[in-house]
Amino acid sequence: MKDFLKRNGLWVLFAVAVIAVSLAVMSFFTTTSSPLANAAQVITSPFRTAFTAVADWFNDKQAYYADYKALEEENQELRDQIAKMERSVRQAEADSAENKRLRELLNLRPQEEKWELESATILERSSSNWTRSFTLSKGTDCGIAVHDAVITSEGFLVGTVSKVGTNWCTVLCITDTDTSLGALVFRTDEIGVAEGDFQLMDEGQLKLSYLSPEAQLLNGDLIVTSGLGGYLPSGLVIGSVEEVKLDDSGSTQYAVLSPSADFDALTEVFVIKDFTVVE
Amino acid sequence: MLARNETIFKWSLYGAATLALFLLQGLVLQRIELWGVFPFLFPVEVAILASYEGPLPGTVFGLVLGVCCDLTVTAAIPCFYTLIFPVVGLAAAAIAGSVISAGPVCSLACSAAGFLVTDLFYALILWARGQDAWAAVGYLTLRETCVGLLFSPLVFLLYSAVYKKCHVDD
Repeated sequence: MKDFLKRNGLWVLFAVAVIAVSLAVMSFFTTTSSPLANAAQVITSPFRTAFTAVADWFNDKQAYYADYKALEEENQELRDQIAKMERSVRQAEADSAENKRLRELLNLRPQEEKWELESATILERSSSNWTRSFTLSKGTDCGIAVHDAVITSEGFLVGTVSKVGTNWCTVLCITDTDTSLGALVFRTDEIGVAEGDFQLMDEGQLKLSYLSPEAQLLNGDLIVTSGLGGYLPSGLVIGSVEEVKLDDSGSTQYAVLSPSADFDALTEVFVIKDFTVVE
Repeated sequence: MLARNETIFKWSLYGAATLALFLLQGLVLQRIELWGVFPFLFPVEVAILASYEGPLPGTVFGLVLGVCCDLTVTAAIPCFYTLIFPVVGLAAAAIAGSVISAGPVCSLACSAAGFLVTDLFYALILWARGQDAWAAVGYLTLRETCVGLLFSPLVFLLYSAVYKKCHVDD
């Protein structure tokens, strides 16, 4: 071992340093992925697509024979939920009409929220046990860029694009430790930062921190994106408050959030390529 | 000592075995969840190959596999696996050279060491970023190591078959 280190140690160290620095520099200076990473992902993309199709087919077959009783119960729950939501929609329509009339009286521009969406299939889930990410089937060829928000069909935030290549992109989930988003408590308009926490990541949760000392949070409070910074549209649902806790010092409070998106059940998501919001 | 052609043949076989494991990892193992984690075989591959082939081939193999992983696997920093897999190779070769001779038991010990080194590096990066969740890190390391060791015989059989085929006279 000593001989090996004496004879080759410097060369191996040099090779490691050159490759590591090259990867880091390429990653830092490109707004998309590095050419090497892009090539590797483009080459492996057809295999992943094919295998995902096969895996989805098996999952479909498995789901087809799922417990009939459980499906009936779920169906009844969903019917109840639809009835409640129909009442809410009627109320919201009346509120919208009132809001429109009042805005016209005050000569305000009509509220507007336009999203340019791109649908994408999930090809691969986390490729490491230490991160929470997805690889999607669309990339720069469809106009997807780094920092684009990714949502479910219900409009729940899944994460943001962290790397993008020709026909693929990697999405960091909101529960990943590298994620940090401007957040707003929907009920009270309190501002905070929703960020991934390693301890909570395993349980599929995240943390709402940097809250003001006067913040009054309740279990079940809805947390949405604040839109500050301009990367993400405001009002995307992140999740709800599960528990309010004090940090180790005992002086600052933070909330544990449960994401609204069900990451395990996702097969298709939507990337917000561009958005316009008029408040 | 192998002739040049034999050396090329041996490394082609190792390459083919590694490619097969790479596909197995990406297409199958990442979809299997055991004890809350999926089997991650890359550190096992570096450790077992280095335990058979020694420090220099083990380190270089770790470097090459590390670069491949950094290009395809999400990590905390862009060159994470390029930095840590040569160390895994070196550690495995050191264990095989001075503690236990290469074989099934050695492959388990080297794989465990490989996971320990890789996960410790991850823990250090998390700590540097202000996420000092040592208990959670330790628990994840334990689960990842146990699940990885469960699949290590597969890697061991594959690499030992290549080694035995190419070192008949040893």
